[in-house]
Amino acid sequence: MHRREFIQLTSALAGGALLPAACTRPTIIAGEIKGVSAAVGHLVRDGALQGAPVTTERADVVIIGGGISGLSALRRLHRNGHQNVVLLELEGHTGGNASSGSNAVSAYPWGAHYVPVPNNNLTEYLSFLEACGVVTGYNPAGLPVYNEFYLCSDPQERLYINGSWQDGLIPASGIGAADKADIDRFLHQMHVWSAAKGKDGKEAFAIPVDASSKDPVYTALDSITMQQWLQQQGYASPYLHWYVDYCTRDDFGTTIDKVSAWAGIHYFACRKGRAANAAANDVLTWPQGNGWLAEQLRHDTEGAIRTQALATRVVPVEGGVAVHYYDVQQKQLKAIDARQCIMAIPQFVAARLLPDAAERMPLLHAHYHYTPWVVANLTVKQLYERSGAPASWDNVIYGGASLGYVDATQQQLQQLKPKRVLTYYRPLATASAVEERKLAQQRTHAQWVQMILDDLRIVHPDIDTQTERIDVMIHAHAMAQPLPQMIHGAVRQQLRKPVNGNIHFAHTDVAGVSIFEEAFYQGIQAADAVMEHLITTPVS
Amino acid sequence: MDNTDKEHVEERGNSAEWLLLTAVFIIATCGLIYELVAGTLASYVLGDSVTQFSTIIGVYLFSMGVGSYLSKFFNGHLLRRFIQIELLVGIVGGFSSAVLFITFPLAASFRLILYAIVFVTGVLVGLEIPLLMRLLQDRVAFKELVSRVFAVDYVGALLASLIFPLLLVPYLGLIRTSLFFGMLNILVGWYLLRRFKGEVKRTAAIQLTALLFLLAELAAFIGADAIMKLSEHLQFSDKVVYATSSPYQRIVLTRNHRELRLFLNGNLQFSSADEYRYHEALVHPAMQASPQVKRVLVMGGGDGLAVREILKYPGVEAVTLVDLDAVMTKLFTTQPVLTAINKQSFSDKRVKVFNQDAFVWLRDNRQQFDCIIIDFPDPSNFSIGKLYSTSFYQLVKRSLSPAGYAVIQSTSPFVAPKSFWCINATLQSVGFTTIPYHNYVPSFGEWGYVMITQRPSYQVPDTFAIPARYINKGVMQQMLYFPDDMKTQQPLAVNRLNNQALVEYFEQEWGNYSEQ
Repeated sequence: MHRREFIQLTSALAGGALLPAACTRPTIIAGEIKGVSAAVGHLVRDGALQGAPVTTERADVVIIGGGISGLSALRRLHRNGHQNVVLLELEGHTGGNASSGSNAVSAYPWGAHYVPVPNNNLTEYLSFLEACGVVTGYNPAGLPVYNEFYLCSDPQERLYINGSWQDGLIPASGIGAADKADIDRFLHQMHVWSAAKGKDGKEAFAIPVDASSKDPVYTALDSITMQQWLQQQGYASPYLHWYVDYCTRDDFGTTIDKVSAWAGIHYFACRKGRAANAAANDVLTWPQGNGWLAEQLRHDTEGAIRTQALATRVVPVEGGVAVHYYDVQQKQLKAIDARQCIMAIPQFVAARLLPDAAERMPLLHAHYHYTPWVVANLTVKQLYERSGAPASWDNVIYGGASLGYVDATQQQLQQLKPKRVLTYYRPLATASAVEERKLAQQRTHAQWVQMILDDLRIVHPDIDTQTERIDVMIHAHAMAQPLPQMIHGAVRQQLRKPVNGNIHFAHTDVAGVSIFEEAFYQGIQAADAVMEHLITTPVS
Repeated sequence: MDNTDKEHVEERGNSAEWLLLTAVFIIATCGLIYELVAGTLASYVLGDSVTQFSTIIGVYLFSMGVGSYLSKFFNGHLLRRFIQIELLVGIVGGFSSAVLFITFPLAASFRLILYAIVFVTGVLVGLEIPLLMRLLQDRVAFKELVSRVFAVDYVGALLASLIFPLLLVPYLGLIRTSLFFGMLNILVGWYLLRRFKGEVKRTAAIQLTALLFLLAELAAFIGADAIMKLSEHLQFSDKVVYATSSPYQRIVLTRNHRELRLFLNGNLQFSSADEYRYHEALVHPAMQASPQVKRVLVMGGGDGLAVREILKYPGVEAVTLVDLDAVMTKLFTTQPVLTAINKQSFSDKRVKVFNQDAFVWLRDNRQQFDCIIIDFPDPSNFSIGKLYSTSFYQLVKRSLSPAGYAVIQSTSPFVAPKSFWCINATLQSVGFTTIPYHNYVPSFGEWGYVMITQRPSYQVPDTFAIPARYINKGVMQQMLYFPDDMKTQQPLAVNRLNNQALVEYFEQEWGNYSEQ
């Protein structure tokens, strides 16, 4: 055979081999990558924003950060008559991990998307929910009655396992008797612990985390990983391990071989809310997820909020604190002389703004690890459904790389929904956080789309043709991981100590677990501390 | 075999032998395909595939035996006979599935036709191999002949059994599969005829027959979809007078000499013979109980039959009907057959139709109505289950005047007592006084309704002063009484958006019922 013929033949064969691939090549799906404003944020890291502020104003309190803790602090201050407060937010909108978006089909979350039925001892939280119409009253037994439009509609959860969808997320379909026994024993143990109290009389696993018992019987769990604990207790079922791992990835972005056993157990044993008209495991949700709650927190405080305002320095000064910030729109450095400051931002950002950054940063590098997440919103037409349980609010694939997807249109009342928005969650926890963050920043929209569709095609084979749009958001530092020693160790307490009596910290970072209630109470506690100082120290 | 045949075949030498063996191969494939088609088709339409396949294989093999036996009566012109048999197998086997599909809904004794076709095909196929062997017997040593013919025969059978489930049924369907192999059979005959032109007498007649058969099968092959459709039409026990699809459902109207029936997605909605029983029972108790009814709301009820009953009250000033499906309401506004039943209720000036989702419409509604009639489909899935929830009934409460009554069609308390009483409990939980009742509608069976009001109690009126065929004071009193077999002792959950308890009850109860 001549060389030329050989080339012709081989290229023809190669073409033939590529043909099927070419035929199934995905259509290009519209959408964009929406990152948290990394470029602006990194100006602080890179020390680009030094120099003298152009303007200076006065305020009683400056809150840095417009996530749930910041908004909660602002609301608390407002409701107690403190109007001279400024909240600075880097992004164009507040909400933080509870941000949301919307399109013609539905509003949808860009982060946290539900809250469980609240524990009944959380008075301030319940009264907030009552103020925004989530709790409509109390029954004669004193249990809250929830607005049923906000309780997650049935069917709530399903799991794709062993070739079909089962109802609920706890593996049940097609598992063996030994697995089932392990799962039952585990759930029973969690149930017992949800009612357990330590020697100090406090709940073993409480919300907020700091209200939990310091009894060493329980705090000792913070020195091992969840996986070690499961092994110690003789839990061998891979189905159980998967389920627990799913839960810790879902709440903490951390796999069971890394997460603290105390934190892992807290996930299962801290929820004890009872309601007049909802089951113990029911949740409250909205199309835009916790973005709805962020909106309610913001209510009446809009005047105090400055978005696209990047705090650059927080300096204790005589009688107060000077906060410098960069007005992104006007491209100007500005200053506020405040009496008190609440830093409602992650520790790794807060540290850089403070004068003692040199001492804080090494501690953070050693003890704080942030998981990057990707959240995507898919606008889809009717999808092909595999057999078993029908489309639910939360749809999870057993053994999948992601946490599955949540249907943002679940609470819509109409019978027929020609289009839906599905919110896809995936903590990037395979490689190291630094590595994952780097990879995430490099991926193109088309690559994200491919990753997401490859995952969901297992359950919806027609997803490529039925998806109209995919928007992707990367949360490069979504949450601090509750690794062993994070919650009951010393570093967290050390970092959260108020500076100089007028700089306070409020963030789920300093709580140890990233859940709505923690953020809400972090804000309240910081606001209360601030108010105490405002009353006791006279205006300078 | 007579001498002429023998000589002619011999002249052609080896190639003729291979040709005939190829024919064996094809006809063996065809033969098994007809058997599989008959078995599959019988399983489709009659169910119980074990019985169908077993009896069809038995009858088929037996009739092949009959064919083989009969082959001894064929003497002379064997090749000609063989070709004629090919054509016959081709036409009988080829049309077998089309004929069976069409006759199934029509014939009283479908099985008789089924086994007759199987028998005839079997006899003809049974003739083929013995005749062929006789054609070849002097060309090949007996030992060789038997070994080759049967080997080829069984290989053909294997091929058929593999391609039938993998390729033919999924890609061609049953009708086209049998037609395709019918044509193959005929082509084999046609080819043999041309190949051995000299040996067969009067080929013109056979050729013409083959051509006609071939054309007939080709036409049927192209028109297979129409045959299938015809057969589906025939499967409704009555004549389909109208069928259309809306974005939400398939709407089919059938008629026989006695009644008109409406099916939505295959479920019976009403029969013109007894719908008055349902609609009088649905509408009049609430209309009679509500004082001075001027404004009435109907949710669901896109057939306009409930509205027809409402319009019997001269005091009614406005009827608002909310039904999701615009195709449905338009049909019942314009189709003369249908407007004859609803007495053109949608054309009445007092009636206003909104084609919207009932939940969304009611949430945004700020009017109050004196009487509300709720006639939704049964809560068979989560999206309809919402319309039976506490949240929905709270909205009903807001939209109903304080002295007014509403009624909810609530499935069958006989078939689904838990579902029925769950609806009752759900209505009570939002603060309504409930008045459950039921009646007998022959085409549905025993049917249930729950009437609700914010008043403390209900009194059966002394007279139903409207023209009615069914309802009156005595009937109303009867309808309020529930025998024990329509009750349940089990404590029932309240149906909420966040538990959809009703859908679970409904699936359980109607699931059990339809399995019986």
